Amino acid sequence: MRISVRQICFIMVAYTAATKLLIYPTMLSWFCDGAIIFPALINFIVCGAVIWALSFLCSKTDKTFFGLLQNTFGEIGARIVYGFFAVFFLFAALLPIFEQKQYVHNIFYDTVPPLGVFMPFFIFAAYAASRKFGNIGRCADICLPIFAGTMFLLFIMAFSDVKADDFLPMFSVPATTIFSTAARTAFNFVEPCWLLMFMGHFKYKKGDAAKITLSYAAGAAIVILFLALFHGIYGPIAPSRTFAVARISLFFPAIETMGRIDLILLYVLEVVMLFAVVINLQLAVHAIAKCSGFENYVIISLATNAVFAIILFIFDSRYNAIVTLYSQWLWIAFIVFTVLVPALAWTLRRRTR
Amino acid sequence: MKRKFNPGTVLAVIYWLIFIALAGLFFTNDFGLVDIHKTSIITAIGIDMEEREVQVTAEVAVPQPSQSGENIKYTQVQGSGLTIADALNEINAKTGFYPKLQFCKLILVGESCMDTELFQVLGCFYRKNYSELTALVAMCEGKASDMLANKSGVSQMTSEAIRKVLSDESEKSANSSSASLKKIATSEYSYSHSCYMPYVQVSKPGTSQNGGNGDNVGGESPDGSGGGNGENGGGGGSSGGGAGESGQSGSSGGDAGGAGQSGEVEFTARKTAYFSRGDFKGILDEQQSFALDVLKSELRVAVLPCNADDIHYTLGLKSVKSKIKLSVEKSVPQVKISVSAKAQIQGARVKVEPKKVIRDDVIPSYVLDSAKKVLVSRVSSLLAACRESDCDLLGLKDQLYKFHRKNYDELNAELLTRAEVTYDVKIESVT
Amino acid sequence: MITLEKQIDAVKSVLKSEDILVFEFASDEGKKFAAVYADGLIDKNQLGELVIKPLGAVKKNAKFKDIKLFLASPELKEGKKVADAIKEISAGNAVVLVDGESDFFIVGVKMPPMRAVAEPPTQVAVHGPREGFIEDIKINLGLIRKRIKTDKLQVKTFTVGEKSQTAISIVYIEGLCPKGLPERVQNEIAENKIDIIPDSSYVAQFMTKRPRSLFKRCGTAEKPDIFCAKVCEGRVGVVVDGSPICLTVPYMLVEDFQSVEDYYITSYRATTLRVLRIISLLIGIFLPALYITAQLFKIQIIPFQLLLKISSSVAGLALSPSVEMFLTLFVLEVLNEASIRMPKYVGLAMSVVGALVLGDTAVKAGIISTPAIIIIAFSAIGLYTVPNVVETTTTLRWMALIIAGSVGPLGLVLFVAYLICYIVSEQSYGAPLAAPFAPLIKSDLYDSLIKANMYSLKKRPKTLRVREKVRLKNDANKR
Repeated sequence: MRISVRQICFIMVAYTAATKLLIYPTMLSWFCDGAIIFPALINFIVCGAVIWALSFLCSKTDKTFFGLLQNTFGEIGARIVYGFFAVFFLFAALLPIFEQKQYVHNIFYDTVPPLGVFMPFFIFAAYAASRKFGNIGRCADICLPIFAGTMFLLFIMAFSDVKADDFLPMFSVPATTIFSTAARTAFNFVEPCWLLMFMGHFKYKKGDAAKITLSYAAGAAIVILFLALFHGIYGPIAPSRTFAVARISLFFPAIETMGRIDLILLYVLEVVMLFAVVINLQLAVHAIAKCSGFENYVIISLATNAVFAIILFIFDSRYNAIVTLYSQWLWIAFIVFTVLVPALAWTLRRRTR
Repeated sequence: MKRKFNPGTVLAVIYWLIFIALAGLFFTNDFGLVDIHKTSIITAIGIDMEEREVQVTAEVAVPQPSQSGENIKYTQVQGSGLTIADALNEINAKTGFYPKLQFCKLILVGESCMDTELFQVLGCFYRKNYSELTALVAMCEGKASDMLANKSGVSQMTSEAIRKVLSDESEKSANSSSASLKKIATSEYSYSHSCYMPYVQVSKPGTSQNGGNGDNVGGESPDGSGGGNGENGGGGGSSGGGAGESGQSGSSGGDAGGAGQSGEVEFTARKTAYFSRGDFKGILDEQQSFALDVLKSELRVAVLPCNADDIHYTLGLKSVKSKIKLSVEKSVPQVKISVSAKAQIQGARVKVEPKKVIRDDVIPSYVLDSAKKVLVSRVSSLLAACRESDCDLLGLKDQLYKFHRKNYDELNAELLTRAEVTYDVKIESVT
Repeated sequence: MITLEKQIDAVKSVLKSEDILVFEFASDEGKKFAAVYADGLIDKNQLGELVIKPLGAVKKNAKFKDIKLFLASPELKEGKKVADAIKEISAGNAVVLVDGESDFFIVGVKMPPMRAVAEPPTQVAVHGPREGFIEDIKINLGLIRKRIKTDKLQVKTFTVGEKSQTAISIVYIEGLCPKGLPERVQNEIAENKIDIIPDSSYVAQFMTKRPRSLFKRCGTAEKPDIFCAKVCEGRVGVVVDGSPICLTVPYMLVEDFQSVEDYYITSYRATTLRVLRIISLLIGIFLPALYITAQLFKIQIIPFQLLLKISSSVAGLALSPSVEMFLTLFVLEVLNEASIRMPKYVGLAMSVVGALVLGDTAVKAGIISTPAIIIIAFSAIGLYTVPNVVETTTTLRWMALIIAGSVGPLGLVLFVAYLICYIVSEQSYGAPLAAPFAPLIKSDLYDSLIKANMYSLKKRPKTLRVREKVRLKNDANKR
């Protein structure tokens, strides 16, 4: 069961957007007020370019990234690089898991429940992460329509309370702030690495590079629209509104009579968010398997998730510190892994088709 | 014989273990969570300041056992503390029910809060997911606890009766300036640093707080000088009295406030309390509030009284559109206020003649002129109040920052006083 | 030369049962015969008319080949071994033994007790044919052959069940269904050495690689029109003797949301009904779970006015919301089970006890609340809009309920995510269970949750990987 280009496109649309609906909008408005869209655009353009380059590379070779590395640096070299990627994906998964935990505890429950309530997540994650790329693709097939439907409804509900002129200070924010915000929030952008791992696991056909890149652009457009709506609704108080996706539809007039129907949509959307979070774990498991040569995904997945559960248990109250760690220091590593390394993949020795 | 490892069996055992754990949790049902049995549904909150303490009065829906539909008793419960959270905790301690604010649709701020920074009072509601920002906020005459203790003929739930006069519909007919927690915060934290909320008053049925919108402007002269200030209305408006019961926890709503003998009262919110940088600045009268609604809300139908040819007319305004445009010319801020509306005669103090009634849709120009003058006078009066208190209710400073960023530092401080205002009011007959 | 008595003894030494009858008779010239058969399984009139009467004219010294010419039965075989005779007698045929001959005749005069062809109660159609399969494999195969007259229709019959010797027929259209699939199905069924196959559901369980799975791997059809439509799409059908339910593979989940009537009514109505079914099913599975989630963890889901009503109903209840819902669902399951098993004449009393005594009194006594009963009733109705998967969906409902009452909304979401992850990796004979949604097969979507018009369904489902793709050949301009 291989992954198909269509499924990669779906991942690029749905998972790209689903990972950026909680804390990311709040962070952007915290860092640069009304210019919330610009840093996001910068990151999307850079990552979009890398994704295009990578998809184009796929047209030149049918080798996997591991195969390319093997070709160039030999087996050991390839394993070392995959080891680094394994660590990277683990870090890429860590913060979204913490984010999810915060989101679930605050939005899904009236009173903040104990940490144990979130632990079943790791049972699901262990199961999902033990599956291979074909399964990831098929889940994306299901997730895209769910995502599209729920986001469409949430957007409709959000439009009722948008104030367009709240964007106007965007042009008064200095460029340095915008670029520094783009850099400091770069840890939210992992998509090029997803494609790097999928390389060689799908059959490339002419025009697929454009399809994948355009899908990513569609995901980006959804995020940009979402950011615009979020800022248009909350304006100056946006930096205090965490879990943005749960806030945008509150002012829909029908909520008054029908109750929080948006919560049902949020529950449904959460399914997609879970898959979007778990994809990093799935790729981490894949990278660990490749790096170690131990191909039993089930055991690797169980071990990885057990470690994550322990980390969450220990650092549960340190969420802010972890965010600071990512936004102050780790963003550099994210730029290296998501921009530089994929771009350097072009320099690897490959056998042309 | 060595037994073969069967992953399916291991998985089945794991599933059973998970199932047993879940079933255990299901039946013990205790994550320290607060279910529907242990929750008190707070429908409204009244906030008063008593010396340095916050006194919170919560209107709580208390479900009574009934299998044949809704049977709810509404009661007022009070608690106090240094913060609202403290006060709510006291309520929890007194009643044993966990107070949930998610269904709190109304926050009434008592007059005693005028001296306290607004966001010290309301701050609690902006934290985390404590309550929804859709809750309506209003200042009330007298004590909030007394206001909530009143009994209304409109609804069994006092807060619902108050919310009706603060509703969107009420705002769209210029009868109140509705404000939600979000609207207040976004206005206050904008570059205007000003916000407003309706001012709720109570009256006895059959009386009018201010003689009604039509009557109180009966003598309003076109230049606005003779306009009523809204404080000289009908009797029965003082609501601070009574409500002796509400001082105790668990007391039920009685016939307090400005209630008459029947015990039922009516609520109005035609005036507007306004704030700048969180400080209370004053109360806009009915005409000023009307002007504020015209300029800040999307009115559907509003009633505008005017005098022409010694006859009092009541015009119904429809399709009201307004625009406030700030421009800066040679460092002088220019404010252009445009209002356009369609009008028709809804009433006049003149004997009805059948042949004339049919032509009511075509309003004589002198009546329209008079209506324009009344509207301009009301807006002028509003601007005067804003200037006097340096409270930018119309959002001019916000516009200055967003559209004329380079003039912001220069003009921001004196924008309201230096602005030259021009009016472009168009009122036309419906047909 | 073997005598007739010895032959009879050989058979009776194995078939000692008293219902195995031996009828000895002789021709006019004195040639002796014996008909051995199982009482109640054969048509005695036919035996008399087609076998016994004609044999009366046989000469004393007639040879075996000559005797055969006298037999008028269209279903006639020769046998040599006693074991074969025993097998045929057990299967309901008559064995005619001839004095002085070691060979014997097997005469097909089978007429087992059976009911008439009738409309199946679970697949009632307002429009369309009303014939349903019955328990007799021959009648069922006849009903199929009646509808598919092509020479490509193949039927392979074999027996499974060491004691029951149940006949199972694999039905498919040669050149249409994927190559090797009929053989694969036959092998997977035949490799199971079981004593008895009482019903096709036994066979269905043999046709899966993951017998613990919650989801079935075979489609079911109780009506020949459905069965034939599926076989003509390129599926392989399995007809089991003694069962009115036939099986089809490969199977996709979406099949169960398609009712036979969908193809006989307008596509708009059919689409509406399919959407309705999926919504009802989701409500049926998740509504009780959502209700207790709302009560326990997030009361905001409930609209305020409704919340006040629910609060009044649950105020004073002795049970927690989750236990209340558990109890109500438990009672529903008990009532459901009892109403199926109970004799019909007790059914009315059962309804009275269930609805009035249990329901009304329990509410009045404050044991359960009215909303809980409404929720469970709605859920029960919702699940029965898709009756073919009701076993799975009721289990899922229980699971969702337990998870919702223990972990809350996150648990429910994780449960759904887990189900998605699980279902998308499941296969039935090469066809993904979640097709045409995962993997997404655009052309097959036209007959999934939506039902397009016939001109849009020119091709057979791509998921089935059939060899002959086009099923509707018509004027290309016609749409």
